Amino acid sequence: MLDLDEMKEKWAEHGKKLDESMRLNRQVLSTLNLKGTRSALQRMTAWLALEGAAWLAIVIALGGFTYEHSGALRFALAGAAVDLFAIGMLAATIRQIVAARKIDYGNPVAAIQKQLEEMRVLRIRVTQWGLLAGAVVWAPLAIVVCKALFGLDDYSPAWLWANVLFGLSLIPLVVWVSKRFGETMGHSPFLQRLMQDIAGHNLSAAEAFLASLAQFENQNQSLL
Amino acid sequence: MTIQERFQSLIDEHKKILYKVCNLYCKNRDDREDLAQEIAVQLWRSFGSFDERCQFSTWMYRIALNVAISFYRRENTRARYVLSDNERLLNAIDETASQSEEIKVLYRFIEGLDALNRALVLLYLEGNSYLEMSEVLGISETNVATKIGRLKKTMRQEVL
Repeated sequence: MLDLDEMKEKWAEHGKKLDESMRLNRQVLSTLNLKGTRSALQRMTAWLALEGAAWLAIVIALGGFTYEHSGALRFALAGAAVDLFAIGMLAATIRQIVAARKIDYGNPVAAIQKQLEEMRVLRIRVTQWGLLAGAVVWAPLAIVVCKALFGLDDYSPAWLWANVLFGLSLIPLVVWVSKRFGETMGHSPFLQRLMQDIAGHNLSAAEAFLASLAQFENQNQSLL
Repeated sequence: MTIQERFQSLIDEHKKILYKVCNLYCKNRDDREDLAQEIAVQLWRSFGSFDERCQFSTWMYRIALNVAISFYRRENTRARYVLSDNERLLNAIDETASQSEEIKVLYRFIEGLDALNRALVLLYLEGNSYLEMSEVLGISETNVATKIGRLKKTMRQEVL
């Protein structure tokens, strides 16, 4: 029978052997620094900043479109609806950037892991709500794009409702496809993650990890 | 001594932390190297904010474990490529081959634990005090003691 305290001694012996054999490649370490390699968190923050800039540009462009067409209610309303969606996405992106910038990996593990997981939950919720709202906003977006790019002004209320219903009917289909095929999209990690987000698998995993963190922080909970 | 030289010398001094954390969270050699490099990058990025209020080893454990737990939990989102030995940050003997039977059993036991309890076991095995462990993990000393007691019990029951 092995005991953790006995193991401590074996582990120390093992550590001594390692000390003798292990070499740090200083050249690789210098290259890592000199290249200005970004950490995973910095890569994510940079990506979010790019996303935020894109949403800001969209908000401004849609604001301009709405203002220009303030005389034609149907275009102004369509522009305002899509702009509202874009403002929501911009706000959610800014919130994620602020949360990411607050993370200091030099702080204790339990606190940082909690912050990281809460950020993950936020990102998944943004994806899910973005999809849901996007399905509804699809129809006014089509109106705005057709008018802004091609000057088209040819739609009826029936067309509008058909597109809203089409967008809404896509949601259960996308969720079903994500649940059914999300795990088999191994060749595209981005698509795999997106589908797992939509299917709710990643959210469940994040919530489970937050629960295990709470359990870890609480000494009265059982270990395993 | 420049800040980069000081950083390199501190990392060299504590390279065992880097190596053991990577070994505990990754089975595959290339994954371990990816993780080692990611931890090194994060250490360098955060080095400016290291204010010596805690020991360097405590700070390094925090960063290494935070990055390792995130790495361990993250989906496999990056393309991997095989590294040659001179591209590796840490070079050591083929550790698995040189491990004693007890160490292999210990690794198997650790593999059955979740990411947070792996960190706890590593810190304990490395001879850190309960206070140091509580500083790294951000839980109370009593909590550390309770968890270590439970881990010992679990190990006795599981590893026969």
